[in-house]
Amino acid sequence: MPELMDQATFRTALETAIKGNTANKSPFSIAWAGGKLSRAHLARWAENHYHYVGPFAEYLAYVYARLPAHFTEAKDFMLSNMYEEEIGGDRHTDLLIRFAEACGTTGVRVKDPDNMSPTTRGLQSWCYAVAMREDPIVAIAGLVVGLESQVPSIYRRQTPTLREKYKFTDEEVEFFDLHIVSDEIHGERGYQIVLAHADTPDLQRRCLKICEVGAQMRLLYTTALYHDYVENDLPLRELDLAA
Amino acid sequence: MPKVTLHKRGEVFSDEVAADSNLVVRAGIRRFPYPHLTYGCGMGKCGKCACRVIAGSEHLPAPNWKETKRLGDRIEAGFRLMCQLWISHDIELMQDDALNAAAPREG
Repeated sequence: MPELMDQATFRTALETAIKGNTANKSPFSIAWAGGKLSRAHLARWAENHYHYVGPFAEYLAYVYARLPAHFTEAKDFMLSNMYEEEIGGDRHTDLLIRFAEACGTTGVRVKDPDNMSPTTRGLQSWCYAVAMREDPIVAIAGLVVGLESQVPSIYRRQTPTLREKYKFTDEEVEFFDLHIVSDEIHGERGYQIVLAHADTPDLQRRCLKICEVGAQMRLLYTTALYHDYVENDLPLRELDLAA
Repeated sequence: MPKVTLHKRGEVFSDEVAADSNLVVRAGIRRFPYPHLTYGCGMGKCGKCACRVIAGSEHLPAPNWKETKRLGDRIEAGFRLMCQLWISHDIELMQDDALNAAAPREG
């Protein structure tokens, strides 16, 4: 029977579960970081990304409602995370639409769910399912630790490229800048909550598994963006990724 | 490791932080300068994390577009937005919440 891990061991295990499937490995992310995408490719990304991150406060709201009342600090964190996504400053999706418009698409196209790929719809559905059905601490592990905590490392790679290679202005890439700060806070607070409340071997095992699956889902989504929108223009061999 | 000193309401708080630390991120994850540093949106919009740099400004990058937009003339007086800075050298700061609340907001 597995034993309860101490917090340091458990944290390392969570980080390892995520690292093995980081979205930074996907051909879309590699092409992005290398400055090889067109603005049209980035527009398709924005039209999909909106439907993954747009409902993030809704995902968290389901978890918030199901967290026991005495998990006060965890509940407060979820509430502030929702607030920051929507009304703490600029609404995050408004900044995503600003970037999308700079890529040549429109707010109407971005908001239209018919413009997301089936894989994006799958990622969005997985997020809703986790939020509604999993133990709330396991859900925080999946959504916040598994998905949100990856964002700063992804955007730290991608944002300089947006300015230097794609020549976007500071205001056009504000969506990416702000997530380097906010998601670093959210990701780390998510870790703190999971480390504190996953207090049985079974809960720890389920948190590890959902982190692994969450990272796989994000990698799947990002990889599908490449196959759906980029592959015909930019084959894998041009990314030095040919099998 | 850089030493951060924060003057606030007549008190002085000081501790070392890891190099390349963002003080708003640290406060957000409940580490020094938590609970002393006031902050808000983390995106250079609300101005609640503004501090006057008393010492160490020579190691900071020039104010970015958000700081310029949000702080305006206060930049000349040494104010910076902590959410926009990654600290790698010793720094001494003063924060006045009343002053930040009274500062005009950009739209």
